Amino acid sequence: MSQSPSLNTWSDALSGFHLGWFPLGLVIVAAIPLVFIALYALTYGVYGERKISAFMQDRLGPMEVGKWGILQTLADILKLLQKEDIVPTAADKFLFVIGPLVMFVGSFLAFAVLPFGPAFIGADLNVGLFYAIGIVALEVVGILASGWGSNNKWALYGAVRSVAQIVSYEIPASMALLCGAMMSGTLSMQQFSVLQSGPYGFAHFYLFNNPIAWLPFIIYFIASLAETNRAPFDIPEAESELVAGFFTEYTGMKFAMFFLAEYGSMFMVSAVISIVFLGGWNSPLPNIGGFALNDLTNGPVWGAFWIIMKGFFFIFVQMWLRWTLPRLRVDQLMYLCWKVLTPFAFVAFVLTAIWEIYK
Amino acid sequence: MSEYFSNIRIGATTIATGLAITLRHFFNAIHRKGDAGIDDADYFKQVDGLCTLQYPREAVPTPALGRYRLYNDIDDCIGCGQCERACPIECITIETIKTTADDLAACGKTSQGQQKRMWVPVFDIDVAKCMTCGICVSVCPTECLVHTPVSDFSEFDVRNMIYHFGNLSNIEAEAKKKKLAEQQAQAAKEKAAAAAAAAASGTAPAPAAKPPADEAGE
Amino acid sequence: MQELGKAELNSTRIIRQDDNRVVIEKDLDTEYMVLSMGPQHPSTHGVLRLECITDGEVVVEAEPYLGYLHRCFEKYCEKVDYPGIVPYTDRMDYLAGMNTELAFCLGVEKLLDIEIPRRVEFIRVIVSELNRIASHLVAIGTYGIDLGAFTPFLFCFRDREHILNLLEWISGARMLYNYIWIGGLSFDVPADFKKRVAEFVTYFKPKTRELQQLLTENEIFVKRTRGVGMMPAEVAINYAWSGPMLRGSGVKWDLRRNDPYSIYPELDFDVPVPDGKLSDIGDSLSRHLVRALEIEESLKIIEQCLDKMPEVEGFNSRSAIPKKIRPKAGEVYARAENPRGEVGFYIVSDGKSTKPLRCKARSSCFVNLAAMKDLSKGQLIPDLVAIIGSIDIVLGEVDR
Repeated sequence: MSQSPSLNTWSDALSGFHLGWFPLGLVIVAAIPLVFIALYALTYGVYGERKISAFMQDRLGPMEVGKWGILQTLADILKLLQKEDIVPTAADKFLFVIGPLVMFVGSFLAFAVLPFGPAFIGADLNVGLFYAIGIVALEVVGILASGWGSNNKWALYGAVRSVAQIVSYEIPASMALLCGAMMSGTLSMQQFSVLQSGPYGFAHFYLFNNPIAWLPFIIYFIASLAETNRAPFDIPEAESELVAGFFTEYTGMKFAMFFLAEYGSMFMVSAVISIVFLGGWNSPLPNIGGFALNDLTNGPVWGAFWIIMKGFFFIFVQMWLRWTLPRLRVDQLMYLCWKVLTPFAFVAFVLTAIWEIYK
Repeated sequence: MSEYFSNIRIGATTIATGLAITLRHFFNAIHRKGDAGIDDADYFKQVDGLCTLQYPREAVPTPALGRYRLYNDIDDCIGCGQCERACPIECITIETIKTTADDLAACGKTSQGQQKRMWVPVFDIDVAKCMTCGICVSVCPTECLVHTPVSDFSEFDVRNMIYHFGNLSNIEAEAKKKKLAEQQAQAAKEKAAAAAAAAASGTAPAPAAKPPADEAGE
Repeated sequence: MQELGKAELNSTRIIRQDDNRVVIEKDLDTEYMVLSMGPQHPSTHGVLRLECITDGEVVVEAEPYLGYLHRCFEKYCEKVDYPGIVPYTDRMDYLAGMNTELAFCLGVEKLLDIEIPRRVEFIRVIVSELNRIASHLVAIGTYGIDLGAFTPFLFCFRDREHILNLLEWISGARMLYNYIWIGGLSFDVPADFKKRVAEFVTYFKPKTRELQQLLTENEIFVKRTRGVGMMPAEVAINYAWSGPMLRGSGVKWDLRRNDPYSIYPELDFDVPVPDGKLSDIGDSLSRHLVRALEIEESLKIIEQCLDKMPEVEGFNSRSAIPKKIRPKAGEVYARAENPRGEVGFYIVSDGKSTKPLRCKARSSCFVNLAAMKDLSKGQLIPDLVAIIGSIDIVLGEVDR
C-alpha cells in the first residue's frame, strides 16, 4: 500500500495535456493500448503461437522471413493488406462491414481499465472489473453481425453457436470474478493490485493468500477460454466442422481485424485473471532477509513488465491447451458450463463469502 | 453423483497427461532430427526433437533406387520402342529411322557392344504425364532408360516438361529419311527388276522380307 | 394427441416427457435447412460431398454424393496389360498402395497358377503390414483433426514418414509403389532392410503409447466419440462392412484369418475387437480403438516375419515373373485385407489377350460409406464429422 501515492501519476499527467483545445494527452493514453495490442498480436500473438505450436508438434515453424522467421507476421500483414476486400453480393453489407469493427472495438475498449503498471491506466474506474466484464460481451454483437451478415450457412452456425457459448459462459466467469471482488472488497482494477502488494511478493496474491481462491481462479480461466473462443471451446470457428465459422466469408484486413480482436481479448482475459488473482503489476519475488527483491522489482516500469509477463504466461497456457486438446461438442460445452462450472462457481462464491466473514 | 465427480477427475487427469506430453515436446525442441537418409546406419539414432527440414537448403536424400525423373541415355538406345509400348499412360513418344547399311558405323554401338540399327530422331518423354511406375525401365533391353533419384524438376512452363532425347536434329532426320527412302526405292526397283528377271527365267521368286511384327496391337 | 397436418408438423416440436406426458410446442417456425458439406470441406477427407438436411444443429438426413475423383479405373484396366494395371491399383487406395497391389497380384497369380518364392511372400507381408501401419496412422491422425486435436496428427505423420522412407528405400517411390509385381517383386530388399525395420519397430512402440495417452485416452476425445455413430453387428454385416469398421461392431472377421492368403496362416496375431470396456461396441470410438490395436498386431506380424524370412543367396525377386502375362480363359475373385476392409478384384480373362476382359474392383471404403445415411440420422453436425472420420474413407478408392 506504500505505492498508493504514485498511483496513476503517468496517465493522469498525460491526460491533462492539451494542445490548444485538443486533448492530445487523452488520445495518447488511448493510443498506447492500441499500439500495444497491435505490436503484441504481431510479435507474440501470431508469431508466438506459430512457434509454440510448431515446437509442440516437432516442427520448425516459420523460418524464412528474417532470422528465425521473426518477420513472418509482418509479411502476412502485408499479404492481407494487398488482398482484395471481398463483400459477397448476397451479404448484408452493413452488418458485414461493421461486424469485425464491433468485435475489435469491443476487445479494445476493455483495455481502458487495464492498469499497465501502477502509474498508468486508461481510466481508473471504481467499477473497472464490472466494466471489463460488460464491455467484452460487446464482441458477441460483432460475431452475430458478421455471421448473420455473411449470408453463409456455416457462418450462421458459427455465429449462433458463439452467442450461445459466450452468453452462457459469462455466468461462471462473472461469478468467479465476483469471488475475487469479495476478497478485495473493490471493483477498481488498480485497487486490486494495490491490495495484493506486500513485502513477500507472491504470498500476498489472492491465489496463494486465500485457501479458496484456486477454485474461482480455475473456473474463470476455463470460462475465459470459452469467452475468447479458444480451444477446446473454439466451436464457433471449428475449422473441421464449420470451415471457418463466423469469418468464413472474410478476406483481407477485415479478416485481420478478427485476428487482432481475438488476440486482444486473449490478452485482456489473461490480464484480468492476473490482476484479480495474481497481483497484477506486483512483483512475485519476495524480500528474503537482506535481499529486498520485492522492493527492487516494483515500480512503474517493472509493474508494466510484470503484468505483461503474467498476461503472456496465461496466453502461453491458452496456446498450450489449444495444441493439445480436441474440441468439445456443442452440447458438451453447455454441459460443462451449466452443470459443472456454474454450480462450482456458486460453491466458490459461498465459500469465499464464509471465508471473508470468518477469517 | 459419484460418476459426475469421477468424470471431472478423469477429465482433469487425462488433460494433464496430454499437456505433459506436449510440454515435453516443447522443451525437446532444442534438438533436431537431422537429414540422414534411410540407408544411413544412424537413421533411427536421431529421431527426437524437431523433425522438419527447411526444404531447399536441407533435404531428405532420395535413395539410390528412387524413381523420379526419367532419363534416357540415347547413346545406348537401340530404338526398339518397348518402353513406348509398355508405358500405361503413353508418355513416351519414339520415332525411328532405319539405318542404311553405309551408316551403321556412324550410328555406332551401345556400351555393351550391340550394333544399333535405328536412328532415333524423336525420343520424347512427357515427365509431366509420367507416373513413375517404372515399367518402361523394367522392359528396356539395354538399360539405357532409367529413373534418376532427382525429385525436384519443376518448371514454369509445362512444355518444358517434355524432355527431348532424340539423337538427330530435324534436318538430319529429314536427310536420313530421304536417304532411306531412296535406298528402299532403289532396293525395290532392283527387286522388281530381279523378279522380272526371275519371272523371265521362269524360277520362283524368293519370298520378300517379312514385314516388321506389330506387337503394339496385341 | 391431436392430429397435425404435414405443414404444421414442420413448425412443431413434440416433446415426450419421462412420464409420457406429451408437450407440443407450436409455432416455433423452424425450417429445415439444406447444408452442402463438401466437396471442399476440411473434414470430408477429400472430395466427398454430403448433402445434409439439418434442423438447427441436428442432421435429419445426410446423403453422400460421390464421383468427384472418378478416374475410370475399371474401364482403364481393359486397355492396359496386367503389369500396367498394378500402378493403377496403387492410386485406388493411395494410403495403402502395397495392400491393394497385393490383392490384385494375388488375383492374377491365381489365374496364372504360378508358385511364388517364399522370400517374396515374406517381403510382401512385411511391406503390406508396414503400409497398414502407415495407413492407420493417417486414419488416427486425421480423426484427431476432425475432432479438433491437431498435434496427434503431426505426431502420426512424423512416424509415418519413417515408414514411407523405408518403403521408398526398397521400392523407389514414397506412396505409389508398384513394388509388388505379378509373380514377384520389382526389387529385392536392400541388405540392411531387416535391421532397419527392426529398429523402426523398437522406435515405434513407445510412440504408440504416447499417441494413446495424447488422443485415445483423452476424456474430451472419448466423450466426443463414445456412443456416436452406433452400428449394430447385424446391420454392419447387412451393409457388407469389412475391416476395422466391421470389427468395431464386434464381429471377429479378418480376411487374413478367415480367408487366409500368402503366409498369414503361419503367423501368430490376434484379430482385435473392442471389449466394450472403453467404448460401446459399434460406436466411433470402437472403430478408432480397433485401428490403434491393429497397429500393434501389425508390429507383431512384422517382428515374426523378420525372424522367419529366409535369406537366399543371389536372390532374384523377379524369377517367378512370367515372360508374357497371358492368363488362361477364366475368371477369378481375389480379395485381401486392406487397412480399410476387404479390397477385392474380380478379373475375367479371355485367354487370348494380355489385357483383362473385365476387371471389377470391390472397394472397401465405398461399401463402408454406404451406411452413411443410416449412421448420420439424427446426429449433430460435430458428430457427423466424427462419424465420417471414423469411417476412414479414401476418396481415391471410393470413386476409383
